[in-house]
Amino acid sequence: MAAPMELSCWEGGWGLPSLHPESLTVMAYAKFSGAPVTVNSVNNSWRTLKGDLPVLVSEDIVISQPAKILNFLRKQKYNADYDLSAKQGADTLAYIALLEEKLLPALLHTFWIEAENYCSVTKPWFASRFAFPLSLYLPGKMSREALNRILLTKGGPPLYSLTEVEAQIYRDAKECLNLLSKRLGTSQFFFGNMPTTLDAFVFGFLAPIYKVCFPRVHLQEHLKQLPNLCRFCDDILTRYFRLTVSSHSPAGQDTADANLQKLTQLVNKESNLIEKMDDNLRKSPQHPPRKLTTLKLAAGGEESSPTSRLSP
Amino acid sequence: MLIHTDLLRRMLEVCLSNWAFCHLGPQLISHLCKTGAAVLKAMGRIGNETVKGSLNERPEGPELAAEPWPENAALYQQLKEEQILLSDNASSLAVQAFLQMCNLPVRVICRANAEYMSPSGKVPFIHVGNQVVSELGPIVQFVKAKGHSLSDGLDEVQKAEMKAYMELVNNMLLTAELYLQWCDDVTVEEITHPRYGSPYPWPLNRILSYQKQWEIRRKMKAIGWAGKTLEQVLEDVDQCCHALSQRLGTQPYFFNKHPTELDALVFGHLFTILTTQLITDELSEKVKNYSNLTAFCRRIEQQYFEGHEKDSATIAARSSKRPLLR
Repeated sequence: MAAPMELSCWEGGWGLPSLHPESLTVMAYAKFSGAPVTVNSVNNSWRTLKGDLPVLVSEDIVISQPAKILNFLRKQKYNADYDLSAKQGADTLAYIALLEEKLLPALLHTFWIEAENYCSVTKPWFASRFAFPLSLYLPGKMSREALNRILLTKGGPPLYSLTEVEAQIYRDAKECLNLLSKRLGTSQFFFGNMPTTLDAFVFGFLAPIYKVCFPRVHLQEHLKQLPNLCRFCDDILTRYFRLTVSSHSPAGQDTADANLQKLTQLVNKESNLIEKMDDNLRKSPQHPPRKLTTLKLAAGGEESSPTSRLSP
Repeated sequence: MLIHTDLLRRMLEVCLSNWAFCHLGPQLISHLCKTGAAVLKAMGRIGNETVKGSLNERPEGPELAAEPWPENAALYQQLKEEQILLSDNASSLAVQAFLQMCNLPVRVICRANAEYMSPSGKVPFIHVGNQVVSELGPIVQFVKAKGHSLSDGLDEVQKAEMKAYMELVNNMLLTAELYLQWCDDVTVEEITHPRYGSPYPWPLNRILSYQKQWEIRRKMKAIGWAGKTLEQVLEDVDQCCHALSQRLGTQPYFFNKHPTELDALVFGHLFTILTTQLITDELSEKVKNYSNLTAFCRRIEQQYFEGHEKDSATIAARSSKRPLLR
């Protein structure tokens, strides 16, 4: 239980910690159950080639599918379903099956098969995250796999062309969203006030549809007409993900931002100083530079060094 | 990309007959001609028995409701004794149970080429008036358009639950049955290949069953089940039965007083698993662990199938020497 656990998954964007539904599910579950999991954004390891993300590594054990990862976390006593009754546990399984059958094909289609979305958003985003040779091959491979999956599971007769299959899967997805909305009703999470496995799965599937800005967005528009689902996603993002973004996020990102800000401030102050110096020199060239110390700007000690450097 | 079975068969028939004339002796040629004739006869049956015009039509509201349920409605499935497989039998039984629950009479007709006659390629399908509808989902909607429905009394949340549980059964139980039939080598060799092509002469029987096996294996690979072992699949079946058992509890049906399409679907699958003899008993043992599920199956069988002695007796006979549930 005290063994450090590391989770490798896809990076995030558009305000989400990850763009991949399964990675999001596992991250959300880890937050809900309080498991101390460090999240590692992977972009060029060999695992992405196998398409096996998310992957949990704990000491020597490597676990790869979301269901198995969740089982492992439960065995380590990080159980978000502790308070559920047996019937609610059964409902969880049923709703997860519903999500996978009805919503996942439309999600895959929006990301990987819809031509405009794929070319303008998904492919550049994924390609920019990989090193050179993988960036050419991997997005195409993922797109082909998604198409294959959709055609094999949904594409039999009497639907003979891709457009008919698309129409059917979007109808199914909208119906699924309506059902989820009815089931959620006005409560905060699906089973009362504490989030559970089902909330993690629903969040994992809904958040990418909700947040990523695509050119072709009819599923997103349908989702936005269901305010309780939007509120559900936003709640989880603010309560469980903003906190960690400020406390122990990918540290490099934040300190880089902070450094950039400080540098900008410094440069601004420097340029203000130089302007004032110029003015002073033009007005009265005999004035000693010491007078510049009277120019009190907002920050603290950084000023002493520029002024001391400027003094002849 | 999507190879149509009848087109493939036609191609095979042409190739076989050309090859035969060029290279082989008279006996083999006549055998192959018999094969070709069987294929043609099968295709001819397709032409005769389905109404081509209505294959792709969806039922329209007003004109459909106007027609009452006819007396000669028929349900088509594969041959009970020799040909039908576990998953198809489960689906067929589910539809039969559903129609019984709605009090709609239907005759069960067994045809060797039922799969090819069906508009979606899946059995069972029903032929009502001049409409042909296949699979439980569309059949439920069709029956609803005719004015009969089992789930009208449910509120919105219960309907959502019912749909979710039906997806659970399809996702886990049906996929597990398909896996067991087509991806487990022992079962494939000893049960599936002999049964699936049994109405057809050699080599058509082997060709058809290999083609189907390839198709199912592709699908399993796409959804990620190809890497699973048999133990993992049985584990999933156990989880699914556990969930169903928890949901059913001590109630007579899943939504208390009245049966719905979910009850029909669950009955179809569980009854078939319990009464089909496979290589090992592991699958049926998993279901037998849950006594309320076996009691549920027995109850529905007694209530809806006892009256039709022929049906239940043939179900038992097909299951090769295993008696009905005691």
